[in-house]
Amino acid sequence: MSAAQIEAIFPDLKAAGYRITSPATPNYNCFAWAGNDSRRWWRPVALHGFYWPEEVPGELNLTNLMGVYKRLGYEPCETAEFEPGVEKLAIYVESDGMPTHAARQLGAGKWTSKLGELEDVEHATLESLASFHGRVALILSRLQQNQ
Amino acid sequence: MKTAMTAEADSAEMARVFSDLAQRWRRETAAHSDLQKKVLHPAYQRIIGLGPAVVPYVLRELQREPAHWFWALNAITGADPAPAGSTFQEAAEAWLKWGRERGYL
Repeated sequence: MSAAQIEAIFPDLKAAGYRITSPATPNYNCFAWAGNDSRRWWRPVALHGFYWPEEVPGELNLTNLMGVYKRLGYEPCETAEFEPGVEKLAIYVESDGMPTHAARQLGAGKWTSKLGELEDVEHATLESLASFHGRVALILSRLQQNQ
Repeated sequence: MKTAMTAEADSAEMARVFSDLAQRWRRETAAHSDLQKKVLHPAYQRIIGLGPAVVPYVLRELQREPAHWFWALNAITGADPAPAGSTFQEAAEAWLKWGRERGYL
Protein backbone atom coordinates (compact mmCIF):
# COMPACT_ATOMS: atom_id res chain seq x y z
CA MET A 1 0.00 0.00 0.00
CA SER A 2 1.31 3.44 -0.80
CA ALA A 3 2.20 6.02 1.80
CA ALA A 4 -0.78 8.09 0.62
CA GLN A 5 -3.12 5.19 1.28
CA ILE A 6 -1.65 4.62 4.74
CA GLU A 7 -2.00 8.31 5.50
CA ALA A 8 -5.64 8.19 4.41
CA ILE A 9 -6.33 5.47 6.99
CA PHE A 10 -4.12 7.06 9.66
CA PRO A 11 -4.50 10.79 8.99
CA ASP A 12 -2.36 11.89 11.96
CA LEU A 13 0.73 9.89 11.03
CA LYS A 14 2.26 12.30 8.55
CA ALA A 15 2.15 15.37 10.77
CA ALA A 16 3.52 13.45 13.76
CA GLY A 17 6.27 11.83 11.68
CA TYR A 18 6.61 8.25 10.49
CA ARG A 19 8.36 6.01 8.02
CA ILE A 20 7.50 2.67 6.45
CA THR A 21 9.96 -0.02 7.54
CA SER A 22 8.79 -3.27 5.93
CA PRO A 23 6.79 -4.66 3.02
CA ALA A 24 3.12 -5.43 3.62
CA THR A 25 2.48 -9.00 4.77
CA PRO A 26 -0.32 -11.04 6.34
CA ASN A 27 2.22 -13.29 8.06
CA TYR A 28 2.02 -11.51 11.42
CA ASN A 29 -0.04 -8.85 13.14
CA CYS A 30 0.63 -6.00 15.52
CA PHE A 31 0.27 -8.14 18.65
CA ALA A 32 2.93 -10.52 17.33
CA TRP A 33 5.19 -7.69 16.14
CA ALA A 34 5.02 -6.04 19.56
CA GLY A 35 6.19 -9.39 20.96
CA ASN A 36 9.07 -9.56 18.44
CA ASP A 37 7.42 -12.32 16.39
CA SER A 38 7.31 -11.77 12.63
CA ARG A 39 6.17 -15.30 11.68
CA ARG A 40 2.77 -15.74 13.31
CA TRP A 41 -0.59 -13.98 13.61
CA TRP A 42 -1.44 -13.78 17.32
CA ARG A 43 -5.14 -14.31 17.91
CA PRO A 44 -7.12 -16.98 19.74
CA VAL A 45 -8.92 -18.80 16.93
CA ALA A 46 -10.25 -22.37 16.78
CA LEU A 47 -8.47 -22.82 13.48
CA HIS A 48 -4.88 -23.68 12.65
CA GLY A 49 -2.55 -21.01 11.29
CA PHE A 50 -2.84 -18.68 14.27
CA TYR A 51 -0.93 -18.42 17.53
CA TRP A 52 -2.15 -17.98 21.07
CA PRO A 53 -0.41 -19.45 24.14
CA GLU A 54 -2.24 -22.46 25.56
CA GLU A 55 -1.76 -21.10 29.07
CA VAL A 56 -3.80 -17.97 28.33
CA PRO A 57 -7.63 -18.17 28.08
CA GLY A 58 -8.72 -18.27 24.44
CA GLU A 59 -10.61 -15.03 24.24
CA LEU A 60 -9.18 -11.73 23.03
CA ASN A 61 -9.57 -9.10 25.73
CA LEU A 62 -7.24 -6.74 27.54
CA THR A 63 -6.67 -9.07 30.51
CA ASN A 64 -5.79 -12.03 28.33
CA LEU A 65 -3.60 -10.00 25.99
CA MET A 66 -1.73 -8.71 29.04
CA GLY A 67 -1.37 -12.35 30.07
CA VAL A 68 0.29 -13.14 26.75
CA TYR A 69 2.86 -10.38 27.24
CA LYS A 70 3.37 -11.26 30.92
CA ARG A 71 4.68 -14.59 29.69
CA LEU A 72 7.40 -12.56 27.95
CA GLY A 73 8.26 -10.73 31.15
CA TYR A 74 6.18 -7.59 30.70
CA GLU A 75 4.30 -5.97 33.57
CA PRO A 76 2.01 -2.94 33.66
CA CYS A 77 3.79 0.36 34.16
CA GLU A 78 2.78 3.95 34.71
CA THR A 79 4.24 5.86 31.82
CA ALA A 80 5.02 5.57 28.13
CA GLU A 81 8.02 7.88 28.56
CA PHE A 82 11.24 6.38 27.26
CA GLU A 83 13.52 4.96 29.95
CA PRO A 84 16.96 3.62 28.94
CA GLY A 85 17.25 -0.12 29.56
CA VAL A 86 13.47 -0.63 29.64
CA GLU A 87 11.32 -2.03 26.80
CA LYS A 88 7.75 -0.78 26.62
CA LEU A 89 4.57 -1.76 24.81
CA ALA A 90 1.40 0.29 24.37
CA ILE A 91 -1.95 -1.48 24.03
CA TYR A 92 -4.79 0.33 22.30
CA VAL A 93 -8.47 -0.41 22.87
CA GLU A 94 -11.67 0.74 21.25
CA SER A 95 -14.62 2.16 23.18
CA ASP A 96 -15.84 -1.25 24.35
CA GLY A 97 -12.42 -2.09 25.78
CA MET A 98 -11.53 -4.60 23.07
CA PRO A 99 -7.80 -4.54 22.18
CA THR A 100 -7.20 -3.23 18.68
CA HIS A 101 -3.47 -2.64 18.45
CA ALA A 102 -0.10 -2.93 20.14
CA ALA A 103 2.97 -0.76 19.53
CA ARG A 104 6.55 -1.38 20.72
CA GLN A 105 8.86 1.40 21.84
CA LEU A 106 12.18 1.70 20.03
CA GLY A 107 13.54 4.80 21.69
CA ALA A 108 12.66 8.34 22.70
CA GLY A 109 9.84 9.44 20.44
CA LYS A 110 10.07 6.29 18.39
CA TRP A 111 7.57 3.43 18.27
CA THR A 112 7.14 0.56 15.85
CA SER A 113 3.77 -0.80 14.74
CA LYS A 114 2.54 -3.41 12.30
CA LEU A 115 -0.54 -2.02 10.57
CA GLY A 116 -2.84 -5.02 10.21
CA GLU A 117 -1.87 -6.84 7.00
CA LEU A 118 -0.07 -3.73 5.77
CA GLU A 119 3.47 -2.53 6.42
CA ASP A 120 5.40 -1.94 9.63
CA VAL A 121 5.93 1.71 10.45
CA GLU A 122 8.09 3.66 12.85
CA HIS A 123 6.04 6.49 14.30
CA ALA A 124 6.92 9.35 16.59
CA THR A 125 3.84 9.36 18.78
CA LEU A 126 1.27 6.91 20.10
CA GLU A 127 -1.48 9.44 19.41
CA SER A 128 -0.87 9.30 15.67
CA LEU A 129 -2.63 5.92 15.44
CA ALA A 130 -5.45 6.72 17.85
CA SER A 131 -8.00 7.94 15.32
CA PHE A 132 -8.08 4.45 13.85
CA HIS A 133 -7.12 2.19 16.77
CA GLY A 134 -8.67 3.99 19.74
CA ARG A 135 -7.04 5.06 23.00
CA VAL A 136 -3.96 3.64 24.68
CA ALA A 137 -5.33 1.77 27.68
CA LEU A 138 -2.24 0.00 28.96
CA ILE A 139 1.52 0.43 29.01
CA LEU A 140 3.65 -2.61 29.71
CA SER A 141 7.36 -2.73 30.40
CA ARG A 142 10.22 -5.13 31.04
CA LEU A 143 13.95 -4.78 31.47
CA GLN A 144 15.76 -4.75 28.14
CA GLN A 145 16.45 -8.26 26.85
CA ASN A 146 19.69 -9.25 25.21
CA GLN A 147 18.77 -10.40 21.71
CA MET B 1 -29.58 -28.99 -17.80
CA LYS B 2 -27.21 -26.09 -18.13
CA THR B 3 -25.55 -25.59 -21.47
CA ALA B 4 -21.79 -25.09 -21.68
CA MET B 5 -22.38 -21.43 -22.52
CA THR B 6 -24.60 -20.93 -19.48
CA ALA B 7 -22.06 -22.59 -17.22
CA GLU B 8 -19.33 -20.36 -18.66
CA ALA B 9 -21.46 -17.27 -18.08
CA ASP B 10 -22.16 -18.38 -14.50
CA SER B 11 -18.45 -18.90 -13.94
CA ALA B 12 -17.61 -15.46 -15.33
CA GLU B 13 -20.26 -13.90 -13.11
CA MET B 14 -18.91 -15.72 -10.05
CA ALA B 15 -15.40 -14.50 -10.88
CA ARG B 16 -16.63 -10.92 -11.17
CA VAL B 17 -18.66 -11.03 -7.97
CA PHE B 18 -15.82 -12.61 -6.03
CA SER B 19 -13.26 -10.16 -7.37
CA ASP B 20 -15.40 -7.16 -6.45
CA LEU B 21 -16.08 -8.46 -2.95
CA ALA B 22 -12.46 -9.47 -2.34
CA GLN B 23 -11.16 -6.07 -3.45
CA ARG B 24 -13.62 -4.30 -1.19
CA TRP B 25 -12.72 -6.56 1.74
CA ARG B 26 -8.99 -5.96 1.29
CA ARG B 27 -9.44 -2.22 0.93
CA GLU B 28 -11.63 -1.86 4.00
CA THR B 29 -9.98 -4.30 6.43
CA ALA B 30 -6.28 -4.43 5.54
CA ALA B 31 -5.30 -2.16 8.43
CA HIS B 32 -7.12 -4.20 11.07
CA SER B 33 -5.14 -6.58 13.26
CA ASP B 34 -8.19 -8.19 14.78
CA LEU B 35 -9.34 -11.18 12.76
CA GLN B 36 -12.90 -10.76 14.01
CA LYS B 37 -13.19 -7.39 12.30
CA LYS B 38 -11.93 -8.93 9.09
CA VAL B 39 -14.16 -11.98 8.98
CA LEU B 40 -17.31 -10.16 10.06
CA HIS B 41 -16.93 -7.61 7.28
CA PRO B 42 -20.03 -7.72 5.02
CA ALA B 43 -18.00 -8.45 1.87
CA TYR B 44 -16.26 -11.40 3.56
CA GLN B 45 -19.58 -12.72 4.83
CA ARG B 46 -21.03 -12.46 1.32
CA ILE B 47 -18.10 -14.45 -0.05
CA ILE B 48 -18.80 -17.19 2.50
CA GLY B 49 -22.45 -17.04 1.47
CA LEU B 50 -21.53 -17.84 -2.13
CA GLY B 51 -20.89 -21.40 -0.92
CA PRO B 52 -18.76 -24.20 -2.35
CA ALA B 53 -18.71 -22.73 -5.87
CA VAL B 54 -16.49 -19.89 -4.66
CA VAL B 55 -13.79 -22.15 -3.17
CA PRO B 56 -11.60 -22.25 -6.35
CA TYR B 57 -11.68 -18.45 -6.55
CA VAL B 58 -10.74 -18.07 -2.89
CA LEU B 59 -7.87 -20.53 -3.27
CA ARG B 60 -6.58 -18.79 -6.41
CA GLU B 61 -6.72 -15.48 -4.53
CA LEU B 62 -4.85 -17.02 -1.60
CA GLN B 63 -2.22 -18.20 -4.08
CA ARG B 64 -2.04 -14.87 -5.93
CA GLU B 65 -1.92 -12.52 -2.95
CA PRO B 66 -2.02 -14.25 0.46
CA ALA B 67 -4.51 -12.89 2.97
CA HIS B 68 -6.74 -14.23 5.71
CA TRP B 69 -8.91 -16.57 3.68
CA PHE B 70 -8.57 -19.56 6.04
CA TRP B 71 -11.68 -18.61 7.98
CA ALA B 72 -13.85 -18.42 4.86
CA LEU B 73 -12.46 -21.67 3.45
CA ASN B 74 -13.10 -23.41 6.76
CA ALA B 75 -16.60 -21.95 7.05
CA ILE B 76 -17.53 -23.17 3.57
CA THR B 77 -15.83 -26.57 3.54
CA GLY B 78 -15.43 -27.55 7.20
CA ALA B 79 -11.80 -28.43 6.48
CA ASP B 80 -8.79 -27.30 8.54
CA PRO B 81 -5.81 -28.80 6.70
CA ALA B 82 -3.05 -26.74 8.33
CA PRO B 83 -0.97 -28.54 10.94
CA ALA B 84 -1.31 -27.50 14.58
CA GLY B 85 1.18 -24.78 15.41
CA SER B 86 1.60 -23.71 11.79
CA THR B 87 2.59 -20.21 10.80
CA PHE B 88 0.49 -18.18 8.36
CA GLN B 89 2.71 -19.22 5.45
CA GLU B 90 2.59 -22.89 6.43
CA ALA B 91 -1.19 -22.71 6.76
CA ALA B 92 -1.51 -21.05 3.36
CA GLU B 93 0.64 -23.79 1.80
CA ALA B 94 -1.48 -26.47 3.49
CA TRP B 95 -4.69 -24.94 2.11
CA LEU B 96 -3.22 -24.73 -1.41
CA LYS B 97 -2.10 -28.36 -1.21
CA TRP B 98 -5.58 -29.28 0.01
CA GLY B 99 -7.07 -27.44 -2.97
CA ARG B 100 -4.77 -29.07 -5.51
CA GLU B 101 -5.55 -32.53 -4.14
CA ARG B 102 -9.26 -31.87 -4.66
CA GLY B 103 -8.91 -30.38 -8.13
CA TYR B 104 -9.74 -26.81 -7.14
CA LEU B 105 -6.40 -25.51 -8.40
